[in-house]
Amino acid sequence: MRFPRVSFPRRMILPSLLLVLLIGSMFAAPLLTSADPLQIAISKRLAGPSWAHPFGQDEFGRDRLARVLYGGQVSLSVAFLASFIATAIGTFIGLVGAYFRGPFEFVAMRVSDVVLFFPPILLALLVVTIFGPGVYTMIAVLALLYFPSFSRIAYSETLRVSSLDFVEASRALGTKPRRIVFSTVLPNILGAISVQFSLTAAATITVESGLSFLGLGVVPPAPSWGQMIRGARAMMEQDPLGLFVPCAALCVTIYSINLFCDRLRDVLDPKGLEDGKDSVSPTGKNGAAPAELADGNAAELRGLTLSLSRGKKAEPVDLVRDITLTLPRNQCTALVGESGSGKSLTSLALMGLLPSAIRPSSGHIAIERKSGAPVDLVSLAAKEAEKVRGNDIAMIFQEPMTSLNPVLKVGAQMVETLQAHRKTTSDEARKTCVAALDRVGIPEAERRFESYPHELSGGMRQRVMIAMALLCEPKVLIADEPTTALDVTIQAEIIDLLRDLRANQEAGLSMLFISHNLGIVADIADRVVVMYSGEIVEEGPAGDVLSDPHHPYTKALLESMPSLHDEKHSARGDRLGAIAGTPPLPQARLSGCAFRDRCPIARDACAETHPDLYLAADATRAARCLFAPDAANALKEAVS
Amino acid sequence: MSRPLLEVVGLTKSYPISGKGFFRTGRIPVLRGIDLTIAPGEVLGLVGESGSGKSTLGKTVLKLAELDAGTVRFDGRDLASLSKEQLRAVRKDMQIIFQDPYASLDPRKTIRAVLSEALDTHKLHMGERREPRLKELMEMVGLSPEFLGRLPHEFSGGQRQRVGIARAIAVEPRFIVADEAVSALDVSIQAQVLNLLADLRQKTGISLLFISHDLSVVRFISDRVMVLYLGRVMEIGPADDIHFNPAHPYTAALVSAEPGLTPKPGRVRLSGEIPSPANPPSGCVFRTRCPYAMDACAAEVPKLRRVGEARFSACIRDDIPNGAE
Amino acid sequence: MLRFALNKGLAALLMLWVVGTIIFSVLFIIPGDPAELLLTSDGASASQESIENLRKEMGLDKPLITQYLEFLAGAAHFDFGQSLIDHVPVGETIALRLPRTIELILAGLFLGLVTGIPSGTWAGLRPGGSFDRTISAANAVLISVPGFVIGTLFIYLFAQVLHWLPAGGYVSFTSDPLLHLKLLALPAITVGLHLFSIIFRMTRASVLEMRTHDWVRTAVAKGLRRKLVVRRHVVRNALGPIVTVVGLQMGILLGSTVLIEFIYNWPGLSGYLVTAVQQRDYPSVRAIILVVSALFILINFMVEMIYSLLDPRIRL
Repeated sequence: MRFPRVSFPRRMILPSLLLVLLIGSMFAAPLLTSADPLQIAISKRLAGPSWAHPFGQDEFGRDRLARVLYGGQVSLSVAFLASFIATAIGTFIGLVGAYFRGPFEFVAMRVSDVVLFFPPILLALLVVTIFGPGVYTMIAVLALLYFPSFSRIAYSETLRVSSLDFVEASRALGTKPRRIVFSTVLPNILGAISVQFSLTAAATITVESGLSFLGLGVVPPAPSWGQMIRGARAMMEQDPLGLFVPCAALCVTIYSINLFCDRLRDVLDPKGLEDGKDSVSPTGKNGAAPAELADGNAAELRGLTLSLSRGKKAEPVDLVRDITLTLPRNQCTALVGESGSGKSLTSLALMGLLPSAIRPSSGHIAIERKSGAPVDLVSLAAKEAEKVRGNDIAMIFQEPMTSLNPVLKVGAQMVETLQAHRKTTSDEARKTCVAALDRVGIPEAERRFESYPHELSGGMRQRVMIAMALLCEPKVLIADEPTTALDVTIQAEIIDLLRDLRANQEAGLSMLFISHNLGIVADIADRVVVMYSGEIVEEGPAGDVLSDPHHPYTKALLESMPSLHDEKHSARGDRLGAIAGTPPLPQARLSGCAFRDRCPIARDACAETHPDLYLAADATRAARCLFAPDAANALKEAVS
Repeated sequence: MSRPLLEVVGLTKSYPISGKGFFRTGRIPVLRGIDLTIAPGEVLGLVGESGSGKSTLGKTVLKLAELDAGTVRFDGRDLASLSKEQLRAVRKDMQIIFQDPYASLDPRKTIRAVLSEALDTHKLHMGERREPRLKELMEMVGLSPEFLGRLPHEFSGGQRQRVGIARAIAVEPRFIVADEAVSALDVSIQAQVLNLLADLRQKTGISLLFISHDLSVVRFISDRVMVLYLGRVMEIGPADDIHFNPAHPYTAALVSAEPGLTPKPGRVRLSGEIPSPANPPSGCVFRTRCPYAMDACAAEVPKLRRVGEARFSACIRDDIPNGAE
Repeated sequence: MLRFALNKGLAALLMLWVVGTIIFSVLFIIPGDPAELLLTSDGASASQESIENLRKEMGLDKPLITQYLEFLAGAAHFDFGQSLIDHVPVGETIALRLPRTIELILAGLFLGLVTGIPSGTWAGLRPGGSFDRTISAANAVLISVPGFVIGTLFIYLFAQVLHWLPAGGYVSFTSDPLLHLKLLALPAITVGLHLFSIIFRMTRASVLEMRTHDWVRTAVAKGLRRKLVVRRHVVRNALGPIVTVVGLQMGILLGSTVLIEFIYNWPGLSGYLVTAVQQRDYPSVRAIILVVSALFILINFMVEMIYSLLDPRIRL
C-alpha cells in the first residue's frame, strides 16, 4: 500500500523544537551537570549562583540546576506515563463502547461518568490517603483521573466516524468488525486523541506538581518541581531565585505542551481566515459610493467583479467576473447556475453581506429604496446599511433549519425585525407579526408565534422566514434557493406561496430568485440569467431562454434534467444529455470561453477570444457564445 | 417469472425515541409491513419524501440495520437465518452506493486502498491479478487509472461518486442499493452518473434498488417504481405508468409537484405538512393531506389493491382523477 | 420542563448514591485490613493494639452491611462521625469551613466572569485582531501557570516585596470587614485568574463558532443593529456552552482550591482536607470528599437546569 506523503506542518516546528529541547535537556542531565541532586552541603545552604552551581544551592545546599533537571525527569516521566496509560485505557474503552454498543457501551461509559463526578484533586487525595504518597501512586492516580476524558472523546468520535458512510460501506462489504475498528475508525479519531493527549500531559504535570507541593506527591528526597517550590517558599525572602527557578521550569514546560496542543488542533482542524475584521456585521468604507439606477430597475449590478483575497502572498482570485445584472421593477428575475457558479455571492453583494475576504474589485451596485433613492450596500457605512436591510430589501435563505435562531421564539425574532425599522408598541408589533404569519398560510398563527423554531417543520420554518422577510414591506426580495432543502410537495407549496404573495403585494415586489432547478425557474420567473464559472453566459425572458436556449451550456443543462425529458427511459437505451467534465475552479479558469472544455461545439476560436455577452444580442436576449444564437443548431449537428 | 433475487415480506422497523432519563417512552415506527420483490436484472425505484423510511428500507434489506418483524430473502435465503460468516459471504453479492460523496470515502485512504479493501475482504483478484482489475474498475466508472494513488480530497463530488460506484461493483455483486446516489450532485454531473448507472446495468445485468426523493430521476432509471409515504407503500407499478397515470392521490400530487418547463394541467395541490412519523394518522397515513379523503379513510389502513397490469395502489377510492388527464 | 427537571433530579440522586457507595467501599476493596492499611501506609509499623483501637473507633468491627447502612443514614443527616485526631464531629467542622471555601470560589468566579466574558466576546468577534492576538497570547501564558505558582509568586510580590497586602490568614467578616476583604483579595484574584483564562477561552471559541451560524446572517439581513445581533444572536447562544464550562470548573475548583487555601492559610474546607490527609484522619477525608462530591453533583444539576432554560431544544 502506498501512503500519502505528508509534509511536516510549519506551525508545528516551533512547539516541537521547544519540547524536544526541554525533554532532551532533562534526560541529558548527567551531561549538562556533574552535580548530584541529592548531595547535601549544609554549609553552602542558599548559596548564590557560581560556576559550579549556576542556579545556586538550595536550603540543604544541594545543586539547584541538577535538582531542576532531575526533578523534570521525574515530573515528565510521571506525567507522560500516566497520560499514556490513560490514553490507552480510555481510547480502548471508548472505541469498544461506541462501536459495539449494547452492554459494552453501558459499562464503559458509566464507569467513566462516575470517575468524572469526583473533583479530580479530591479523588487523588482520597487515593493518596489510602496508599500513601509515592511515584507509583501518582502514576496510578493520574491515569485514573484522566482516562475518562479519553473514553468520552474516543466514544463520541467513534460514534461520529462510524455513522459516516465509509464505515457503513466497509460493513456492507463484509469487512470484519475488528478490521473496521482498527484500520478505519481508529486512524480517523487519532487526531482528536492526540490533542487530548497533550492536554492531559499538561494537566498531569500541573496536578503532580501541585500534590508534590502539598507534600503528598513525589516523596523526598527524590527531586520534583512541586517540592522545590514548597521548599523555597519558606525562604522566599532571602532566596527568591530558589522560587523562580522551579516555577519557570514548570511553567515553560506546561506552556510548550499547551502550545504544541493548540497548534496541533489548528493543523488538524483549520478554522480558516482570521483577519481581525469584524466578523458579524460587514462594514462599508466611510464614504458610500454614488449609486445610480436606470429608470424602471429595482436593483442593478454593473460590471461587478468580486475577488477573494488570499493573504499577502497570493494573488486575489476573481470569483465573479464582470457581472451586469438588472432587476426590473416588480418582476421576478431568476439567477441560475450550478454550485460554484457565483450565483449566491452575487446575491450577497446586493445585500451587502459579502464575507470579509471577498470584496468588489470593480463595478457598481445599486438598489432602490422605498423612497426611490438608490444605495450601494457594500460601500455604505454599517449604521446606514442596517436601516436598508430588512426594510427596503429582504432575503430568505436555503436552509430553513438553521436560518432561525434556535434559542429564541419565532415571535421574538419577528418582533425584533419589525422594531428595528419601525416604532411600535409590543402589542401592535405582535398583532402585525401574527397577521404576517397568517398571511403566509401558517395555521394557528397565534400559537406558532409562541413556538420555538425546532417545534416547526422545515416547510413551516421557511414560511416563517418569508413572513419575516416581508414584515416591513420591502420592495426587493432575494430568495437564495429557498426550496432546495424541502420535500417536493412542500417545495411546490412554497413556490405557490411566493407567487401568490408577489401578485398580492400592493406596493409591488421585485424578486431575485436563485436556483439550480430550471423547472422551478420556469414556474416562477419572468426573466432568467444563467451563470457559469463566475460569469453570466445567457439571459433573457424565461420562456424564450428555456424553450430556445442560445448558449450551449443552457442547452446542455436542459438536456441533462430528467424531469424535462419524460420521453426518455434508461431501459429503452435512452441516455440523458450529460455534459462531460466538471466546472473549472475559479483559479483555473480557461482562457477564452470558460465552457469550451466541456462544450461539444467548441472550436479553436473559442480558446482565443473571450466571447462578449452581447455578441449575439437582440432586443431582449444575450448569450456569451461565439456561435450564438445558432449554437443550439450547431449543437444538434455536433451530437448527431 | 423466475425466482426473485430479493424478496421482502412484511418488513417492519421502528426506532426508539431518542432521549435520556427514566421516562423513556415508545418507539417511532419507520416502516410498517413493506412487501417487495426485485427480479434478477430489474431496477426498482423507491421514491418518497422525508420520513417515508426509504433510506431505512435500503439499509434493512442489506441487513445493515436490524428489522423488528418480517423477512428478507436474498436469492432464496432468509438473511436472518445466516451465521455471521455466511452473511459476510453473502455481502459480496449485495452492495450499496451512498448519497454524500464526501462522507462515503475515508479521507485517509487512497482510491487503490478503498478498492483493494473490497477485493481483499472477499479474496478476489489476489496477487498479480489485482492491478489489472483495479484499472479495469476505474475504466468502467469512467475514471483514469492514474487516479488510483490519489486521496479523496483531490476529487470533485461527481468523481467521488464514481469511486463509490467502483467500490460497490468491485466485488461483482448481483444487487446494489443506490441510496440517493445522485441527489447531492449538480444537475450536469447527476446526468453523468445516471447514465453511468444505466450503462452498468445494461452491461452487467445487475439488480438495483434505486432510492430517491426525485420522482423524475427514479422514473428515468427504474423499471418499476414504489411510492412510500410515512413508512407505508402507497403505490407500486411500472415506472412510466406510475408517472404518466398515477393511481394514488399521493403519487398524483408528487407528479404534479415536480417542477417542469410547462405548467401542468389539473395540478393536485396538497395542504399542510407531512405528519411526524412518531405520531402517524390512523387509517390511511396520507389522509391528512389528501384532497379526496373521506371519513372511511380514517377507519382502517387501506390494503394494496390491484389496479392494472402489475400495478397496485393503497387507496380505497376508484374515482380519483389523476394529474395526467 | 418539569419532567426534564424530574428526570435530571432523579439521575443526580442516583449518582449521589453511587458516589457515596464508592467512597464507602474504597477502604474495603483494597486487600488487607483497612485499619492496618491506614496506620502503615506511610511505611511505619503499627502495634496490634493501635490497630484494634482504630478498628473500634471507626466501627470496622461491625458487620459490613451495618457499617454501610449506618454510613448512609449518617450522611443523610450530615453526621459523619468524629475526627480521629481531635474527636470533634466532622459535620461541625465542615459546616464551619465550607462557607469560607464557597466564599472564595464565588469571589473568584465573579472576577473571572466579569473579565472573561466581555474580553472573550470582543476577541471572538474580531479574531486575529490586535486585541485578540494580545489577550490570546497573554492567556496562553496564564493558562500554563498553575494556580499554586501564581499564588506563591503573588505572595512574594504583593506581600514580601511591595507590602501591599497581607501574605495570608483569615479574619471573619463580622469582626473586621476591611481586613477580611484584604485577606480575601489575593486568594480570590488567584482563583479569578485561573477562571478568567478558562472563561475567556471558552467564550472566544463559542462566539467564534456561533457567529458563523446561518441565523446570524439572517439577523444581519433583517437589518438589526450590530449590538443587537451580537447580544441576541451570538452571545445569547454562546452562553450555554459557557455555563457548562463554568459549572464544571466550579466543581473542579471545589477540589483544587486546596492548593490556594493552603498557600494563603485560608481556613476553608480544603485546608482541612490536606491536614486530614496528612494525618490519615480517614473519617474526615471521607466526609469532606462526600460533601464536595455532593456539591459537585448539585452544581451539575443546576448547570443542566440553566442550560435547558437557555436552550429550549434541550427540554425534549
